[in-house]
Amino acid sequence: MKKIKIISGIIWAFMALIIILILFPGLNSFSVALSKLPFMKINPNFAGGDAAFSYVQERCTLVVRKPVFDGLLSERKHGFVQLDWRGELPDVISDTIDFDRDGGSDFVVNLKRNDAVTVINPLSDLVTGLNVSVPTSYGWTVRVGLKRE
Amino acid sequence: MEKELVINGYRKSFGKSLLYTLPVFLITFVFMSGGRPDFSDPARLVALLVTFAGMNLLYFLMHYTGRTDRYRAILFIIFALSLSFTLISNIVQMRNSMSFSQSDIVECRIPFCHLVIPMMIIPAAFTKSIIFPGSIIGGFADISSMVILWLFATIALGRGFCSWGCFYGGWDDGFSRIRKKPLLKKISDSWKWMPFALLLMVMLTAAMTLVPTYCDWICPFKAVTEFEQVTDTESAIKAGIFISLFGGLVVALPVVTRKRTQCSFLCPLGAINTLSNKITPFTVKIDNEKCTKCYKCTTVCPLFALSREDVNGGRVSVFCSKCGKCVDVCPNNAIHFGIKGVPAGSFRNFSRNLFLFVSFIFISIFSAGSIINTIQSLLNFIIS
Repeated sequence: MKKIKIISGIIWAFMALIIILILFPGLNSFSVALSKLPFMKINPNFAGGDAAFSYVQERCTLVVRKPVFDGLLSERKHGFVQLDWRGELPDVISDTIDFDRDGGSDFVVNLKRNDAVTVINPLSDLVTGLNVSVPTSYGWTVRVGLKRE
Repeated sequence: MEKELVINGYRKSFGKSLLYTLPVFLITFVFMSGGRPDFSDPARLVALLVTFAGMNLLYFLMHYTGRTDRYRAILFIIFALSLSFTLISNIVQMRNSMSFSQSDIVECRIPFCHLVIPMMIIPAAFTKSIIFPGSIIGGFADISSMVILWLFATIALGRGFCSWGCFYGGWDDGFSRIRKKPLLKKISDSWKWMPFALLLMVMLTAAMTLVPTYCDWICPFKAVTEFEQVTDTESAIKAGIFISLFGGLVVALPVVTRKRTQCSFLCPLGAINTLSNKITPFTVKIDNEKCTKCYKCTTVCPLFALSREDVNGGRVSVFCSKCGKCVDVCPNNAIHFGIKGVPAGSFRNFSRNLFLFVSFIFISIFSAGSIINTIQSLLNFIIS
């Protein structure tokens, strides 16, 4: 029994050596394999949710994301919808958004880029106000707070 | 006489030490240079040669002198400093500031570090997503690579990761070595359980809020990496907390206690690594036949992993990070690196050689990039 313990301990120690030796040459392929696992995606609370639809405008495109209410076990009462303007943005933006595509406008976004002033005019009870309005590498992003129906 | 006894335990002849260094020499050469050094940038080449020579010298000295901790600590501390330097210079290059803004969060551009891992687990299981605004793969410090690096290292080394891989531990370790003798000697070692409480707290709060709460509110290492832009009261409170924790647990307490207090009392990943110490093959063993119960080892252990009860019981606790300080200080060579299953006192040199090889290969390759970058930047700065 003692010998078996010693031999298995030494074998495990050599396996640890192999683990470290294959780690660095295989790092890229191991990372790619890990990144393909189903849970390896950024939570929508950070990533902003999947794109729902887009409006192609004169020199830019407005991408409206799916509303995010993600909680640990179920949806939360409060969430947000993210709007991304991509491309060459005008100095002043004013867009009316129907984020749930029910035919009724939900809010109006007025954005003055130079002054970094963003105003949300809610047209629906589900809209709670402005959460985030920031310049991005691709244009501008606004997150508008929502209540769950 | 005492010094001689300590050194005699593991020291090897010059030739034998060179021979033991040869595999590390070849492996580090291949990984650092990619097998083909770049001669087009002299500063880069010099940085590579200095890093390569320095690392191999440290490994050689570990064998030649028989001491572990002294040379490990040199590389470990340099790693911490250079990683912070590389990270900060990358971040400043990207954003012109050490602070990150809402734009960086919205675009998921925050570099990932291993301390986030405990908070990812429950949300990943339930929401099938990662609660961190970083990049999954590709880019600087992506989530996949950092998780793989930590996972492999913690399986192989257990809590040895905290002394042979964690690029924050070097800050604690460095400050704990500033004074020769501690000013504050009596600290209850029950504080070492604190990281488990914190681990539970941050895992639960992160699961409830879907925000990495430790990073958001507590992590003291934001002081040497990046932090949230102070724009309102909440972000100002957060800044106050991380600066206080850095000043208290990473700088002041290690200086006065000669212990790694942040690693011992706060780090939630350290708690997970403590658990993984159960599966790693490497450990530190106490040879009861040689031990004279002088308890020098309990005094020097920086992580409260050795109490008098542990020494009397002839075992090292799971909190051990295999830094080698107790092994170096033991006047009777009663403490040694060992392999689980192998009785204390047997295969001492074999176990030490194998453990040093595994752990040194990990830290040298992991740290090489940031050390080379730092030396290169310093050379470029001096030349310009």
